Amino acid sequence: MIDVAIFSVYIEDGCIVCDACEEAAPNVFEVTDDTCFIKPDVRIDGGYDRNEGKSGLKAEVISAFSDDILDAADACPVDVIIVVEGTGEEPPEPEETAAPEPEEMMTEEVVAEPVELSGDDLEGLLATGDRSMSIMFGSQSGNSEDLAAKFAKRASGYGLDATVVDMDGFDLSTLPSMKRVLIICSTWGEGEMPDNAEELWQQASTDSAPKLPGMHFTVLALGDTSYEFYCESGKDWDRRFEELGATRLVERVDCDVDYDPAAAAWALDALAAMAAVDGNGTFHEDQVEAIKDYVSGAAAAGAAGEDGFVVPNITTEAIQVEINIFRYNPVTAASGRDTWICALPGHMSVLEALRVLKATHDGSLTFRDGTCDDPTTAISVNGRLVLPGNVRLDSVAPTRDGGLRLRIEPLPAFDVLRDLVVDHWTLERKRESAKPWMVAATREGADTAQGVMGTMDPVTATSLHSMTDFSSAPLLHSCSDATPHSEEYLGPSVLVGTWARIHDPRTADSNRERLQTVIDSRNGIKAETDLASIRRQNDSSRVVAEALLDARTSALSRDSFNGRHGKHVWWYTWTVKSSGRVNDTVIYRQVLGPMGLMGNLFSGVTARMVFGFTRTGGKVFNDLLGMFAPPAGIGKMPKQFNSQVDNHHEVVAIFNEVDGRF
Amino acid sequence: MAVKYAYHPGNVAHSSAIEVAETMPPVARSLGIELIPLKGATSCGAGIIRQASRRLQLTLNARTFAMAEELGLEIITPCAATAGNLHEDLAMLKDDPNLLAEINEVLQRTCDMTFSGETGVHHLLHVIVDEIGLEKLEAVAKNPIDFNVAGFYGPNIQQAGACGGDDVYDPDYLEQVIRVLGGSPVDWESRTQSVGVPGLFSEEPTAMRQTAAVLSEAKSEGADLIVSACNLSHSVLDIYQGKASRTTGLATNIPVIHLTEMLSYSMGHHNTRLAQLRTRIAIIGD
Repeated sequence: MIDVAIFSVYIEDGCIVCDACEEAAPNVFEVTDDTCFIKPDVRIDGGYDRNEGKSGLKAEVISAFSDDILDAADACPVDVIIVVEGTGEEPPEPEETAAPEPEEMMTEEVVAEPVELSGDDLEGLLATGDRSMSIMFGSQSGNSEDLAAKFAKRASGYGLDATVVDMDGFDLSTLPSMKRVLIICSTWGEGEMPDNAEELWQQASTDSAPKLPGMHFTVLALGDTSYEFYCESGKDWDRRFEELGATRLVERVDCDVDYDPAAAAWALDALAAMAAVDGNGTFHEDQVEAIKDYVSGAAAAGAAGEDGFVVPNITTEAIQVEINIFRYNPVTAASGRDTWICALPGHMSVLEALRVLKATHDGSLTFRDGTCDDPTTAISVNGRLVLPGNVRLDSVAPTRDGGLRLRIEPLPAFDVLRDLVVDHWTLERKRESAKPWMVAATREGADTAQGVMGTMDPVTATSLHSMTDFSSAPLLHSCSDATPHSEEYLGPSVLVGTWARIHDPRTADSNRERLQTVIDSRNGIKAETDLASIRRQNDSSRVVAEALLDARTSALSRDSFNGRHGKHVWWYTWTVKSSGRVNDTVIYRQVLGPMGLMGNLFSGVTARMVFGFTRTGGKVFNDLLGMFAPPAGIGKMPKQFNSQVDNHHEVVAIFNEVDGRF
Repeated sequence: MAVKYAYHPGNVAHSSAIEVAETMPPVARSLGIELIPLKGATSCGAGIIRQASRRLQLTLNARTFAMAEELGLEIITPCAATAGNLHEDLAMLKDDPNLLAEINEVLQRTCDMTFSGETGVHHLLHVIVDEIGLEKLEAVAKNPIDFNVAGFYGPNIQQAGACGGDDVYDPDYLEQVIRVLGGSPVDWESRTQSVGVPGLFSEEPTAMRQTAAVLSEAKSEGADLIVSACNLSHSVLDIYQGKASRTTGLATNIPVIHLTEMLSYSMGHHNTRLAQLRTRIAIIGD
């Protein structure tokens, strides 16, 4: 036994990756691209990093490589290798013994005198120091993951900064640095870990798994009582964390298939307990109930409802907002923008913010007011089309540099009457021209007020409702980037209503035929230039874009892919079949025809394509460019022939199998 | 250590936008991105093939996904249209196990391959900001792109789930990159607007008005040039400038380059072209 032995070694900042240490002690040091790591198999904690946690070295390593380690420290030209010395019998000095025997440290944690906190200190406890918490999930079907995400959102109300951690790919060596951990794990098959948790479990089960003396944890186990090994995975994690020295704050809860109520109850206890762990890692058990009261709003006296329930406080702190609003005065025909910088509560809706500005700053500010779901109130905020009463300030746009910048515009695609108020009449006229209303087969020609309205199977009804269940027709109309630039185009809101009516089984055949001509017309679905602009706005516009894609396919097929619309799609697809790639030359020739090509020739399009006026061109032509006066910019020559992709026969086979028309 | 991706150059990188194909590899090398070419990958369909047959485009793209999966890699592309279309089809396949099974039957019969859903699609811009890091980019940048730059995203990558950690409606990754390279990002509205590429041949007047609106706003906001994250939009914004101006009467003359070109010039891979760009910025425009 040696009197003073090496206990640990770690690397400080400033390593210059000179390799000297690795040459002196290759079994201990490994130089990486930008620093040096202490190898995992020499460390008690098995970690692979600079060992800033000062984990001890294994006894056999110390006896075999002490001299090499000291040589490496001497050889380091920048002295960033720090050797921690200590006796083999006594723990080293506190500042250099961050990771001696973990069990001893855990004991110290448990017996630490709790710090008494007064009620006034509760907010301090929830808001100061390290408030990080990890929610680890092991999930096969997604239920555990969903719960983890849900509880992570809820954790902020407890002053916790929660991170959802997928067990798949998780680095076990980082576990000891976590103070608070919730584990949510399902059980798969006959007591097996879910796929994403299996690898981590194998690592955690080994003897070399790192100890967890400073960790507080609790487990939610999901399972099915019809299986023999009910919630086995959760039980395994619960037991193993305890074995590794972590402190269980709340008893494990095992949930059956109807897990929601039990999981919610567990979360109430678990989050409050985790919140009672202060920034130093000390658990204040006496504060748990106070925290529950505080979060539920009882202590803060949330508004009491008439029937006795408590309405939770949903207020948030004021945020710095720069609001830039489009202004238009029809009397003077002058337009411009006004900017206000103010502090407003984050929970305030955009519509409420507009009301405040009008009431306190500029009474002439004009916008459509209404209920939160009034479809006519729609406006554009930073390019996002919203009903302003339905969206909070703190969620309408990302906060950057500590503040929010909102650029508020009237809806595109409509004439502006004043400021943010637009004239919806153009949309109404288009709707009137399309007549997308019901003319029922059962009532066609019947002079009755009611009549039999027919029936519809649930699948069809759901499909039709989903495509027409958008919050605002003007908002949907503006979703298309084509509508502001084409007066004739009917727009997505009229077209999707028409398309839904065509597929309504109650519609009279004669009306269906008429509606089909609306869809197929020059101003119908073919006039839409890019469905991507519609689908990006929100969930309901995504459904509408899918329906309009069906409408377009249907219209092109009925035309047998004739006309420019059909030919574009046909020849694009054809060139992909013929080579796997797009052949611009073929598409231009086949879609535009000789006259169109001539038109492009004279309009300069062809010249710009070949010479790349504003771009910087290809190599050959760039070399020649020195002979010409800049900025000739010669250099764009589309390839006239395309090579085929590898295994092109597979592409042809797919075409033949899926769509034999091409 | 290099990060590795399966590389899809985008639809027209081999033809109308050859400059993207030329500048992407040196940019990737400088950033420590190893590109493994998907030599058998087809066009993503650009949202056009699916107008003829949704199932056809899905199957073709599933074949591309299967190739990437076989390599054990996720896909990177410098084209916003390709990133958006591939992402849309990938999400559809992942969300619908029955559909995936049906597509796999066809893939098995025709190509002797299947796709299990284990790949992802990323645009170069999101890989740079989310994975490589702007510090790394700053470290390899040599030439300052000291212009007023209007960053153009287009609508395809600005979809939920397709734009990495950026905001769907109010993105700023491109602006962050421009700033790191020494440029001044222009604040403008049209950066996520469509220029109507899928309707270019069939609805040319509308597409020209859309294109002109984007170009003229960039100019009026003081941009010296537009940098596009999309191969298709990049080509249209350049080739159709004159026609767009004649259609609308708006001023549209402004240099347009692709994101990979800006990165390449900044990293010193194409100094001659950067010099030419400086000349054009000085001469083109009002």
